[in-house]
Amino acid sequence: MTTQDVTLQINGRAHRLAVRLDTTLLTVLREGLALTGAKRGCNQGVCGACTVLLDGRPVRGCLTLAHDAEDRAITTIEGLGAEPNPVQAALAEAGAVQCGFCTPGMVMAATAFLRDHPAPSLEAVREGLSGNLCRCSGYRKVVEAVHRAGGGAP
Amino acid sequence: MNAATQAVGLGLARLETREKVLGRAQYIADLARPGMLHGAILGSPHAHARILGYDTAAARALPGVACVLTGDDLGDHRMGAFIKDEPPIAKGKARYVGEPVAVVAAEDEATARQAARLIEVRYEELPAVLSPEDGIAPDAPLVHEDLASYFKVFPAVCGGNVASETTIAEGDVEAALAAADIVVEGEYATAPQAHVAIEPCGALAEVDAGGRVTLWSANQSVFRVQANVCESLGLPMGRLRCLTPRVGGGFGNKMEAHVQPLVVALALATGRPVKLILNREEDFEIVRARHPFKVRMRTGARRDGTLVARDTEVLLDCGAYGDDSPGVLGYALLMSRGPYRIAHACAHGRLVYTNKLRFGAFRGFGNPQIAFAGETQIDRIAERLGMDPLDLRARNALRDGDRWFGGGEVLSNGLAQCIEGARAASGWTARRGAPNGLGAACAAHISGLLATGAIVRVLEDGSIVLNTGAVDIGQGSDTALAQICAEALKVPVERVSVASPDTDGSPYNWGTTASRVTYTTGRAVVAAAREVERKLREHAGEMLECSADDLELRWGGRIGLKGVPDKEISFLHVSLRAHWAAGGPIVGTNTLVFDRASVDPKRAVVTGLPFPRIGVFSFACTVADVAVDDVTGKAAVREAWSAVDVGKAINPGAVEGQMEGAFVQGMGFALTEEMVWDGGRLANPTLADYKVPTTLDSPHGIHTVIVEAPEPDGPFGAKGVGEIGIVTVPAAIANGIAAATGARLDRLPMTPERVLDAMTGGGDAS
Amino acid sequence: MTLLHKPATAAEAVRLLAADPDARPLAGGATLVAMMNADLARPSALVALRHVASLATISRAADGTSRIGAMRRHRETVHESDLRGAQRIVALAAARIANPTVRNMGTIGGSIAFADPAADYPAALVAADAVVEIVGPQGTRELTAEAFFVDWYATALRPGEIVAAVRLPPGPLGAVARYDKLVRVTGDFAIASVAVVAVVRDGAFAALRLAVGGCGPRPVRVAEAEALLVGARPGSPRIAEAAAALGAACDPVDDVRASAAYRRRVVPRMVAHALGTLLAPEARAA
Repeated sequence: MTTQDVTLQINGRAHRLAVRLDTTLLTVLREGLALTGAKRGCNQGVCGACTVLLDGRPVRGCLTLAHDAEDRAITTIEGLGAEPNPVQAALAEAGAVQCGFCTPGMVMAATAFLRDHPAPSLEAVREGLSGNLCRCSGYRKVVEAVHRAGGGAP
Repeated sequence: MNAATQAVGLGLARLETREKVLGRAQYIADLARPGMLHGAILGSPHAHARILGYDTAAARALPGVACVLTGDDLGDHRMGAFIKDEPPIAKGKARYVGEPVAVVAAEDEATARQAARLIEVRYEELPAVLSPEDGIAPDAPLVHEDLASYFKVFPAVCGGNVASETTIAEGDVEAALAAADIVVEGEYATAPQAHVAIEPCGALAEVDAGGRVTLWSANQSVFRVQANVCESLGLPMGRLRCLTPRVGGGFGNKMEAHVQPLVVALALATGRPVKLILNREEDFEIVRARHPFKVRMRTGARRDGTLVARDTEVLLDCGAYGDDSPGVLGYALLMSRGPYRIAHACAHGRLVYTNKLRFGAFRGFGNPQIAFAGETQIDRIAERLGMDPLDLRARNALRDGDRWFGGGEVLSNGLAQCIEGARAASGWTARRGAPNGLGAACAAHISGLLATGAIVRVLEDGSIVLNTGAVDIGQGSDTALAQICAEALKVPVERVSVASPDTDGSPYNWGTTASRVTYTTGRAVVAAAREVERKLREHAGEMLECSADDLELRWGGRIGLKGVPDKEISFLHVSLRAHWAAGGPIVGTNTLVFDRASVDPKRAVVTGLPFPRIGVFSFACTVADVAVDDVTGKAAVREAWSAVDVGKAINPGAVEGQMEGAFVQGMGFALTEEMVWDGGRLANPTLADYKVPTTLDSPHGIHTVIVEAPEPDGPFGAKGVGEIGIVTVPAAIANGIAAATGARLDRLPMTPERVLDAMTGGGDAS
Repeated sequence: MTLLHKPATAAEAVRLLAADPDARPLAGGATLVAMMNADLARPSALVALRHVASLATISRAADGTSRIGAMRRHRETVHESDLRGAQRIVALAAARIANPTVRNMGTIGGSIAFADPAADYPAALVAADAVVEIVGPQGTRELTAEAFFVDWYATALRPGEIVAAVRLPPGPLGAVARYDKLVRVTGDFAIASVAVVAVVRDGAFAALRLAVGGCGPRPVRVAEAEALLVGARPGSPRIAEAAAALGAACDPVDDVRASAAYRRRVVPRMVAHALGTLLAPEARAA
């Protein structure tokens, strides 16, 4: 299948790559650029492990075509920084992380959620994370950690 | 062990948390090697078919394809945990839809998948066995014609399509049922549940110049990977080294083999590294799943609430290959009496081959299915007798000195505390007065089984490296074992690093399964640490010129003279001496195999049980508050209380995490999750069609009550917690639905449809 | 050769699509890319509609009609303050689609063009008496939502045509909306959904439109049942009668979410419940 060059703005840096039409942003990140933080759990947009930010909003990396992400700002978990942000720190402190495979997607969704919803209620956090499946935790500690990171009322 | 602990009992975050929250943890799909090829599988389109031949020319001709392998290319070798019945790739016959019949290695995944589609396989379709009932019919086609000649690791009772038949009997169950004041009976069916670890299965193999293979994979035991690959490919075990990256969840699905043999075969054939990661659909279709159970059960009681008899008959769908199924059958029967003193009990079950994917280990190992039957019957007895269901359970609970079904000893038992803990936390007594949806269930589960080991080394600077070979699949065993080691040596946890499992360098560990790592491996860690302590004291005695017996470990990595606070020496100084001057580097090792008998032939008649020595017992009582929508029949858990006896919580935070996660996974099993077959083909192998609970479907109020009834030989009294939390959940929710609506369900999952049918007697009443 | 076209106008998009029958329009990607990943769609080229400004706007006319551009994301529709009265049904439905992340991606045009009858918009648009604006090689045309949804995954769109916008009339004065959705887990497609737009006056229905989703090839609406309900008060036997008529009009199939038999049973119950709740005084106050 033919490829076509595309320029992607990822974590503040421009990357030019030759990409097929059907190649997703997730594939480009993981295989083209070795940014393996975003995970492939289902490739159907259901599990949320591939969540990245597109112009600041969480989207599914597996449902975003690389060509359609041109001219948009892409942020992956690698772009959040070398030190944990408040969401990452709270997840760690709460012991909310088990196998960790869903964690990068959860971190991206939660980070964007708290930016848009300061001091959310627990219910709002549960709604905000409802697109990220976790099979280990039962969610309670994850929700509590994000709630705490957001400074929400108990 | 009354002294205050400083490492055991701390709710530490997992040692590797930082790399996980930063997205830097490396899982199998994240690994790459120079020159690496990508693998892809061609699966059988038929449930049961003879393979007449292959045409692989078009696939081989595709640019970028390095290798195509079929059953013709591999020798006649078979693997299997209990019955050696499974080739690494279909050979002669395909036995389920999706079973690998050919594999390809190519320069990239897309090319490999394209090549797989170009392979033509000529089949002669055979009549398929699609249910265990079909399989035991007199004229059923045979899934395995050569079953009799297969090697079995236990005295299997088998024949036809019956892979294994097991019986456990104590007392005279028919006479006791006849004499009982009341008998409840029922037939129960549970659905196949998919594990849905968020990480799909995969593996990466590389061959060195000498032909030795290194294999990384998503797994629960590097040693089972090694055994399965070598058995199924006919390789000497020394030729294969198995390693593990981080594992993205495993609930039994990554214990026995998945794609590892195929990837090793491709790497050996090409001489290049090969990686194969299943997509989600393949992960559903070809790995393994929780067994669907058919259970017929009768329980008898006296009018005063004394349980007197239980009779259990089980029919189990094995799928196409034995895998862990004989163990699941035997274990489920062993658990069928529940955690109760019931003098007369009989359990009999058959495991039947079908043309479906193999069913295998899944958190609970048959116990959640059998407990669904048993614990809903306990509630029905309570209802008939007008008793509080928790009172009835407490009255019949196993007590100190009582034996388990089959005759095994129970040396620690926190069931009564679990019942009272769940009762108090849930406000059971007060809330049951009003309209409510409170349901309860109790269970026990084992932790134990088989062999394990530990090597504890003191490095030159006095810090410690712990090497057990136990794979941490995310549940936190690296952290818990480090805490145990730190506590035994009285050093801070940060002073202990944990070696990654490696079949070359780690002591044998059967696997991260059977809730066993904390208990069995923890025991080996304590014993190895004690050996290190003895050697440290011997060195220190020579250095301080006193008897080693007069020395003690002091917190922080020091050895001191008892009663003389300022006479002490650090691990650093002892270890430097050991490395450079005298005695040699300090290493403590221990290996053990769980050897406590589960069967007492004087008490029980047992045949065909694959596990004669299973483990020690954890206990649980769960209460669920269930709301049922009377319009649609949809049930939802509002709140839950889970009390579990873990002996000793080495890491209370991790214990809570296991209990909470198990509850939600059990809730999915109870309410929404069901693999559905359309003929021989799985109809819902996607996360869009197979639904697991989200945040909004899971109650935030999952309250955990940790009970600690110490196991005498457990590490600091600990026993397992990985599985016990799921066992009670379907029954507790079913009992909650009954409390809320009066409707009794005998089939999982309890979908809105089934609940509404049960509420309205199946007829329309609007 | 261009793989992904980025036209700036709807006319250009239509021209590109008409020129290549194997090209597909790309809206939010939530469905099309999932199908491509599953190898169920292999377009030769894609025409990204994201750069067509006119498709991304929402506007409100003087008469209260709201026009939602095809490329409006579900998230935007959920929070759209211009949707009032009867139009709220569309925002309520949008809020039940998938999850917040997917709602950042999916669009109303993409969703209705795919026409999964178990999706949230079809029944809501029928209840809202919506009009679908279509642009194609022959120019623009309009269809009612009822006429737009034709069959399982099939619409009245002709080759080369795309959805330009969805137009929602203001609806009757005082109308309220209710959207009930029965799912296995949150964010799943519906086992059954009920979308109602109603005016309740003096304790009785004064006007009403109702559609059922997920229970047949297209949204189910029964005009006779709606007529029957005008004037109905709480406890009126006409509610059960109308609910039964909706159930009878459903044409569901067995699927992994539920059986057809269950859907036939549960639809009348859900409809009766929705109607009863709308008539309850506290619902009117809200």
